[in-house]
Amino acid sequence: MKIAVGGKGGSGKTTVAGTLARVLAERGQQVVALDDDSNPNLAVTLGLPHGQAASLPAIPRDWLEEKPDGEGGTRLELKVPAEDFIDRFGQPAGQNLTLLVMGQPSHGGSG
Amino acid sequence: MRGVLRGLVSTTSRMTVVDLEAGLEHLSRGTARHVDTLLLIAEPYFKSLEAAQRSFTLAKDLGIGQIYMVANKIRSPRDEDTVREFAGRHTVGIAGVIPYDPAVLEADERGTAVMDQRPEATSVAAIRRLADHLPTTAA
Repeated sequence: MKIAVGGKGGSGKTTVAGTLARVLAERGQQVVALDDDSNPNLAVTLGLPHGQAASLPAIPRDWLEEKPDGEGGTRLELKVPAEDFIDRFGQPAGQNLTLLVMGQPSHGGSG
Repeated sequence: MRGVLRGLVSTTSRMTVVDLEAGLEHLSRGTARHVDTLLLIAEPYFKSLEAAQRSFTLAKDLGIGQIYMVANKIRSPRDEDTVREFAGRHTVGIAGVIPYDPAVLEADERGTAVMDQRPEATSVAAIRRLADHLPTTAA
């Protein structure tokens, strides 16, 4: 199952996403939780200590490739298998559960 | 990052749970193609339901197979009716009803997870029921 959780800011989306991920992991599923919010808070809901979750560091260039996006431009695509990427960059968040915070560190100091 | 997210969601054999950017506008067609279940969280207030409706329309255009609403912060039967009536009008199913739970705010204030802070919390129980109701096809 590939689940995405959406909603207005403040609606409880992150609490639901994180708690749901933990419930599924508890039931024996291998789960990867992905924080794609520009204000990433998923880590806290997964029970990770505050400040421990880090955004993805710079990804090695040979793990990505430029491909045509079908609209005259190109986009960066993941070249390595997802499991390799998750093993390398994922943060353990309990049994059966790994977190990936998708945002990149901002360039102008932390927000 | 969109390409990375799309690659991960599409090719991992694990179950994924993506916490999306609020509003869904940043959800690419490429990533949406690989999402089979979208949960739209809505509170029982007009603005929240209206936002859910916009997201629902966007998600349908992106071709996501299963789209459900999840009613959150429900304080009364009337709150629940408000969300159910809205969902009925737009023919979208409700996957869960989560009560308003002070334990969530308490956990937020302490920077902890509600599931650790209060494992018996009513909101946690409701999310467990939500997990029960999701299709349990292979990941």
